[in-house]
Amino acid sequence: MTDRPHDDHLVMRDILVSFNGFHAIEGFNFAVGRGELRCLIGPNGAGKTTALDLICGKIKVTAGNILFKGKSLNKLEEHQIAQAGIGRKFQVPSVFKELTMRENLEVAYCKSNSVLANAFRFGHRSEDDSFEKLAELVGLQDALDRSAGELSHGQTQWLEIALLLAQDPELILMDEPTAGMTHHETQKTAKLFNRLKGNHTLIVVEHDMGFVKEIGDVISVMHQGKMLAQGSVSEIEQNAAVKDAYLGSGGISGA
Amino acid sequence: MSRRTLIQLCVYGAVCLAILLVPTFVDNAFILNKYGRYLVFGILAIALSLSWGYTGILNLGQATCFGLGSYCMAMALKLRTVPVHTGSEGLPDFMVWNNVETLPWFWVPFHSLSFALIAGIAVPVLFAMLLGWFMFRGRITGVYVAIITLATMVVVNLLIIDQQRFTGGFNGITDLAQLEIMGFTFDAYGRSSYYLIAGTLTVCLFFALAVTKSKTGLIMQAIRDNEGRVRYFGYDVAFYKIFAFSVSAGIAGVAGMLYTIVMEFASPTFLGVSLSLSVVIWCAVGGRQSLLGAMLGAIFVTGMQGALSESEAFLDTWMLIMGFVFVLVVLLLPKGLAGAVEMLVDRLFKHEKPQSERTALSQAASQTGPAQ
Repeated sequence: MTDRPHDDHLVMRDILVSFNGFHAIEGFNFAVGRGELRCLIGPNGAGKTTALDLICGKIKVTAGNILFKGKSLNKLEEHQIAQAGIGRKFQVPSVFKELTMRENLEVAYCKSNSVLANAFRFGHRSEDDSFEKLAELVGLQDALDRSAGELSHGQTQWLEIALLLAQDPELILMDEPTAGMTHHETQKTAKLFNRLKGNHTLIVVEHDMGFVKEIGDVISVMHQGKMLAQGSVSEIEQNAAVKDAYLGSGGISGA
Repeated sequence: MSRRTLIQLCVYGAVCLAILLVPTFVDNAFILNKYGRYLVFGILAIALSLSWGYTGILNLGQATCFGLGSYCMAMALKLRTVPVHTGSEGLPDFMVWNNVETLPWFWVPFHSLSFALIAGIAVPVLFAMLLGWFMFRGRITGVYVAIITLATMVVVNLLIIDQQRFTGGFNGITDLAQLEIMGFTFDAYGRSSYYLIAGTLTVCLFFALAVTKSKTGLIMQAIRDNEGRVRYFGYDVAFYKIFAFSVSAGIAGVAGMLYTIVMEFASPTFLGVSLSLSVVIWCAVGGRQSLLGAMLGAIFVTGMQGALSESEAFLDTWMLIMGFVFVLVVLLLPKGLAGAVEMLVDRLFKHEKPQSERTALSQAASQTGPAQ
């Protein structure tokens, strides 16, 4: 990974995160190339979600540096990081329940973030068309004018993916995108992700190994706040350290 | 423009038209003045609906901005009474009694009515921007915002009472001239003032509606729903909140100016806790997530208050009745009267298209159903 630094879209270097003295993440190094789809796995409490929180600015590093396109994110606020081109899907689906699905997409489609510019901005027909296409892509075309609070759990997951697509960030962070999805829906998600990679860089935290095998080229394994191993699916499955980390939980495929 | 927006515009327009037509049926000066007062409260409720109902900022100090607007207007109208209620120096009477010798510097620009009209909006807006900057940059939310706004109001109120030499203290600023714009006089007990208030109400209502229909308005509602999520789409939440808070303050300032015109004085009670809490009640009763609902809620509640307190039968019990109505509405209609109307309309429309509804439902069922 380190031998092609000019290609790295996102780099995390010597990260330390300390919560009142407890080191949730320590000595963590991580790099993702442009257009890559990287799966981030690890046992519970390994620090996967914390790593995503760090990238999107929800948590600040205690020490170390996070570089996105060569620029440090350390001093930026959440909305500035989002403006730089990083989007996030949360573990618990969080959409705007009191707004309709169309309005949700309008919010996500952040063309201008200025208050005053947006005060003079009303609905556009061209946007409506693209929202309809997005809704069709995630199979929610009939729900566009229903309030998001009425959607089922699976539909809410899809809506959140649609929100990310509307936002169209360069780097997409996904926290357990298939949680609560049916097998069929998981496969549909895998197809979608395979289409996204190349144009977007994706970091996916996932427990479902079947899903990981379908989408992941390179897998990074975290354990106790550190990077344990990195490699292809078969390399990871053979790795002795990974086997140790998952000991007792039925191996990596049982996690 | 969607059909829903079109219907909304028609309803809003019809209500405003009805309000503007009232003087053709009512000829009693006292009643017109009373109705004018109710409409002013309607404007104040629109302001709170914008910040509380649409953005989720519970401002318990809404009356601060109302009072600031009111005092700006009162200062200008006081200076217009020269020399009747001012000394030979052109000093307001209460300053003479308090041994003030020259007009304080911040009173001087109020010789100009245009300055006062601008200040009546600008002072509350700047005040809200400053307060909003500290609160929302510091990510203070929820009940803490309510406490801070309430406490700030008490401070401003005490300051006004304390600085009697410059503000008239407890008595406020009384004995004002009538508002005169380009040779036209607005009599507090005449049709002119009623039309002025009703016209301003219409402008404020449609202005607020335009704000809520814009993308900024949409983001305000998204912030109300899930503030954290909005940040990760790249919006600076604090700026949006400051915007909503300030626009709300400006509208409250306008209401305050009109209140001075219709009451013919300004008093520290205009920045009172009881008025501030009343606005919250009006919005809750009318429906805080509807500008029209909040406005009608204010007119309805204050109108009922007036009617009950003036009738002999309810002289002792009207407060109880008002409290009972409030509890009833909050318990049974969490979205207020506007929410109830909306629910009713939705139910009527649903009879027209049971087919699409059924397919949507069955789809939802298949997503969550046996497959899991």
